[in-house]
Amino acid sequence: MIASNQPSVIKVRVKRQDGPGQAAYWQHFDIPYEENLNIISVLQKIAAKPITRDGQRVAPIAWDCGCLEEVCGSCTMLINGRVRQSCSALIDRLLEDSPSGEVVLEPMSKFPVVRDLVVDRARIFQALKKVKAWVEVDGYFDMGPGPKQSRTQQEAAYPLSECMSCGCCLEACPQYAKVEVIREAGESEEAYRQRVEAANSVAFIGPHAINQAVLFNSNPTGQFKKAERLEALTEPGGIQVCGNAQNCVAVCPKHIPLTTSIAQAGRAVTVHAVKKFFE
Amino acid sequence: MTNELTFIQKHEFLLRRIHSLTGLVPVGLYMCVHLITNASILNGVEAFQNAVYAIHSLGNALVFVEWGAIFLPLLFHAIFGVYIAYSGQFNTSSYGTAKNWRYVAQRITGLIAFVFIVSHVAHMHGWFHVGFWEKLMHSLGLAQFRAYNAASTAAMAMQANIVWPILYAIGIAASVFHFANGVWTMGITWGVWISPAAQKRADRICAAIGVGILLIGFSALGGFMTLDAQKAEDIENRMYTESVNTGRVVPNAKKLTNPKLLEEQAGTAKP
Amino acid sequence: MAKQRVVVVGGGLSGLSMTMKLCELGIPVDLVSLVPVKRSHSVCAQGGINSCNDATRQLGDSEWKHFDDTVYGGDFLNHQPPVKEMCEWAPKVIDLMDRLGVTFNRTGEGFLDRRRFGGTLYKRTAFAGATTGQQLLYALDEQVRRWEAEGLVRKFEHYDFTSPIVDDNGACRGVVIQNLHSMEFLALPADAVVVASGGPGLVYGRSTMSVMCNGSAASRCFRAGAKYGNAEFIQVHPTAIPGADKLRLMSESARGEGGRVWVPRRSQDTRDPKLIPESERYYFLEERYPAYMNLVPRDIATREIFDICVNEGLSVDADKMCVYLDLTHIPKAELDRKLGGILDIYQKFQGVDPREVPMKIFPAVHYSMGGLWTDYERSSSGGLVVGSPRNHETNIPNLYAIGECDYHYHGANRLGANSLLSCIFTGLMVGPGIENKLKQSKTAAADLPPAVFQQAVAAAKEQHQAVLQRPSSDQNPYQIHQELGDLMTRAATVVRRNDQLKAAIATVEELEQRANVATVVDTGSWTNQNVIFTKALMDMFPLAKAILWGALQRDECRGAHFKPDFSMPSLTSDTREGRLQEAEQWCDRFQANTDKWLKSTIATLVDGQPKLSYEDIDTSSIPPRPRLYGLVGAEEIETVWKRRAAAKSAQVDPMAARAAAAPAVASL
Ligand SMILES: Cc1cc2nc3c(=O)[nH]c(=O)nc-3n(C[C@H](O)[C@H](O)[C@H](O)COP(=O)(O)OP(=O)(O)OC[C@H]3O[C@@H](n4cnc5c(N)ncnc54)[C@H](O)[C@@H]3O)c2cc1C
Ligand code: HEM
Ligand code: SF4
Ligand code: SF4
Ligand code: FES
Repeated sequence: MIASNQPSVIKVRVKRQDGPGQAAYWQHFDIPYEENLNIISVLQKIAAKPITRDGQRVAPIAWDCGCLEEVCGSCTMLINGRVRQSCSALIDRLLEDSPSGEVVLEPMSKFPVVRDLVVDRARIFQALKKVKAWVEVDGYFDMGPGPKQSRTQQEAAYPLSECMSCGCCLEACPQYAKVEVIREAGESEEAYRQRVEAANSVAFIGPHAINQAVLFNSNPTGQFKKAERLEALTEPGGIQVCGNAQNCVAVCPKHIPLTTSIAQAGRAVTVHAVKKFFE
Repeated sequence: MTNELTFIQKHEFLLRRIHSLTGLVPVGLYMCVHLITNASILNGVEAFQNAVYAIHSLGNALVFVEWGAIFLPLLFHAIFGVYIAYSGQFNTSSYGTAKNWRYVAQRITGLIAFVFIVSHVAHMHGWFHVGFWEKLMHSLGLAQFRAYNAASTAAMAMQANIVWPILYAIGIAASVFHFANGVWTMGITWGVWISPAAQKRADRICAAIGVGILLIGFSALGGFMTLDAQKAEDIENRMYTESVNTGRVVPNAKKLTNPKLLEEQAGTAKP
Repeated sequence: MAKQRVVVVGGGLSGLSMTMKLCELGIPVDLVSLVPVKRSHSVCAQGGINSCNDATRQLGDSEWKHFDDTVYGGDFLNHQPPVKEMCEWAPKVIDLMDRLGVTFNRTGEGFLDRRRFGGTLYKRTAFAGATTGQQLLYALDEQVRRWEAEGLVRKFEHYDFTSPIVDDNGACRGVVIQNLHSMEFLALPADAVVVASGGPGLVYGRSTMSVMCNGSAASRCFRAGAKYGNAEFIQVHPTAIPGADKLRLMSESARGEGGRVWVPRRSQDTRDPKLIPESERYYFLEERYPAYMNLVPRDIATREIFDICVNEGLSVDADKMCVYLDLTHIPKAELDRKLGGILDIYQKFQGVDPREVPMKIFPAVHYSMGGLWTDYERSSSGGLVVGSPRNHETNIPNLYAIGECDYHYHGANRLGANSLLSCIFTGLMVGPGIENKLKQSKTAAADLPPAVFQQAVAAAKEQHQAVLQRPSSDQNPYQIHQELGDLMTRAATVVRRNDQLKAAIATVEELEQRANVATVVDTGSWTNQNVIFTKALMDMFPLAKAILWGALQRDECRGAHFKPDFSMPSLTSDTREGRLQEAEQWCDRFQANTDKWLKSTIATLVDGQPKLSYEDIDTSSIPPRPRLYGLVGAEEIETVWKRRAAAKSAQVDPMAARAAAAPAVASL
């Protein structure tokens, strides 16, 4: 970038929310410009000095992050309106693309806000349980190596297994609707969690879970549970909810071929359903 | 987890698959046949009238075919389609990819098609062939089509004012887009085309089919808009008399524009 | 008796393998983690996991060789029985991971593909692209999810472990944890507690580790009386890329797949690296280490980079240590297949395609060989007694430590791709020991009087409140953390000097005082990350001090701990005779140093200060020998050393004499 184009401050607008079910509000921060910053370092700078543009001292912004190299899936948020990982969102790049010169941060809209940019994504993991995203081995004693697999098989499976449960695909999917259950006064954690799980259980599982079902159905041992996974895909909230907008594949930071997996699962459930009907 | 599932939730998969299927057969297929039939007007009034005779040779069974194989599946597809459309959330402002726009367009064209088809059937067919209803429709300038004066009634209906042709043009375009794009998404839903490359190939084929059908649909529309209705009616009446004589059509006053005239002719012809 | 339960703190590879093994044994587990376990730091591991395998075996490799490479690479500071056991399990661990569906790269025939890693001459490393840790972690995460679905695992994700609950007899009976959203405290009774909380990278501010690697859990056990071993052994990885928030690793696998490290021979050569001809490039690792080439152990590679940049002034960047790591001679398709993950990281964060342009890389703090002290039971064959409840138990009864947060396996320097192995291995191996531990007890922690747990929670709450209610001061926890990181990085990484270490200890004391009064800006009781960070910061000091004191007191060079003032010289004589003579002296000195320093540093925390003691190392299988990678005169030293070793063991047992000599030959 040419030096003269560099702004002296980075203007950051953050959508904040103090707790679940509360009203959201915006705050503006000005961060002195430095080269090679990413969103995480900007948030770290705000945390170290949480003072708004108007000079107001505020509570530091809450956000999630972990690996800082786009493999853990923690740091998903909306940046200038689009969902992505904030650790790999470089300020210089964002400023190039944003004519307003502003960086706008919002929590994901499809998950209940816990606080500020932190959202509750338990539903993602619940969906993995639903599609039995694991290889059902007998146990962990030494039984020798697994079945031999061709390079082609490995090269097909590896990309699918890179899913880091970040939820980008879900945020962008027009068919994935937010499920938010507000905790009632005096409700125990246990009872509340059960209600949340019940509500999640009939809502769309999402492309990431469909992809995992395809992954494990293609594993030489995993395929022994194929029928159960296909069954799960046809339950309420299953693959049928997909409307083929293909946003998921467009935003997945791991470039997972989600729509290929969806089509594959589509074929498998069709065959499965027809077979079941005539059996 | 004690969960009360709604009927739709419980049968979501099946309902979605039936919805998908009804989009192709019978509804989509019917639309194609229908547009092609209409386009036979380009081969002359006789050709079109013959096509209509063929359909109406079903006689009293026609009403069952119409409702069982077309209207009911269509209504199911349409109503459930509206439900589906409302259950999604458009987000093209953030994710403006072509695929996402098509997802939106699929829903909007579905709604347009719904409005169009309801009015189109009312305009031409009238929905129900029951006395008082027919009178009501006629008084509203609807239920204009007469099967034994097929081309002329259609042409007159289209030429009555400029609103109808515009509505038809939009409606046909929307329906055809909806069908072509729908076939493509259906191929993914059912797992016919899987890899990105295959999906792209299928996409081109669906687009080509769409353009083809659209041309056919528009040429039919153009055909009716430019038809000389008076001449057409004369031809149809002649055909009617002949066909009744040969036993090809069952006489039915309701399917005629001007039954009295033909009754007289018939009276003189038949001793 | 209520059902006995185990609490596992940490859901990285070690915590998850432990959880899954315990579930298989029918023992219910409460799994506690700061983050959803699938996001644990193990997900970052890139390069691979080691085991001797069918192909290397035929080239002369064996479990024993793997064992030997590990202790030689670790400069003999490793207790040998656990290492021996681990290397023997290694092929089975990889087989198991294969069965669990890990997408390991394959050969054309469908076997697991292997690559070479540092500190060995064999291709032992199985890998899944350049995201091996991720793939391994996911496989274990999936198994644990399966057990969760079956009701044997309760997950406490987004919870901070704040302390072990230690009863009047000094035994651990559970843990106190804090919900990171509601900030509420909770006591979990447990009949055994396993801490698997990973490394303490944040003590160094920025490192290659994830943000939750703050060492707090280990430090809290340290505070509760657990011993901490070998704190000063911190691995600095030779190849990373710097960032404002993190130093991102470029895995050793880049060199394993043929990546070459070089600098321009001319200092501050500003030419485009691709335009610099071969003859003007200095492939210093290849020249200096003709046997291992670019794959010398990490401590050595890092020191060489330091030497090239600081002493020879050949750094590519004027103001930072920086050398080229060059992959551009390798076909792109192969790079994508085997290293895609890390190349993407480089491209994403540096904006340059490393398939086209040599990468600019820098050393960075990476791994802690040290950690919580744990016991083990040695078997007659020199390995471990599997199923012994002593394995991996800390000095606090019922409190166990596994994974990066314990001090075993890696000695003074960890070999690449051995950590993933040690993590999974310990989980699997220690599970049955814990089962036996539970069987020994006739009671369940859940049956203890509730007051035990209520008191522990009350104490934790009180401490929390005290932090929240501090009077306002101008001390900012984030600022203090940054200063701590800078200080530790300067004083206790590649090269260590006693004056610097002493000064650093004084400064750390000051920083700790400041941290103890630092104001938390956010005094709320909902998702207050500010106060959680401040508490974690306070817990970094015991570890920082253990590192600095350990380093200060250890006046020698061993593995990652390098003090130039105490380094062993190269031989200087031009004649072989002369060198042999020098080698005699060299070996005398080496022996004296070994006698004095071949010991683990053991720290106990007394009134917030580490008290050090030293523990003998179990070297029962492989007698210590000089670590000679690339040293000038290595040949002569080896000759002398072998003669001495043979003579020594001939006195004891003539059969062993030959055995003792054998590994030295293989190590070149
Ligand atoms: C970038 C990078 C690449 C690497 N590549 C390799 C490689 O190729 N091969 C290799 O062998 N090794 C590699 N390593 C080393 C290896 O990844 C780690 O040593 C290993 O993953 C540690 O696993 P663990 O189970 O001990 O802990 P981690 O995976 O770090 O997990 C720690 C767990 O403890 C939890 N935790 C921590 N503190 C608390 C607390 N206070 N309360 C509650 N929970 C807590 C965390 O939430 C987490 O679940 C690499 C390391 C790095 C940094
Ligand atoms: C009358 C009003 C109509 C409405 C409201 C409507 C609505 C919809 C909707 C919302 C979809 C998307 C379903 C999904 O992705 O899950 C859809 C799909 C489809 N529609 Fe319609 N539609 C209508 C009429 C028609 C007509 C007239 C045709 C035929 C020309 C048709 C053919 C299709 C096809 C083939 C699909 C694809 C099915 C799939 O993706 O699985 N639809 N329709
Ligand atoms: S293709 Fe399906 S799952 Fe993917 S974004 Fe579209 S509707 Fe959602
Ligand atoms: S599929 Fe991609 S976008 Fe979706 S959760 Fe997985 S990694 Fe994230
Ligand atoms: S912090 Fe791990 S993906 Fe961004």
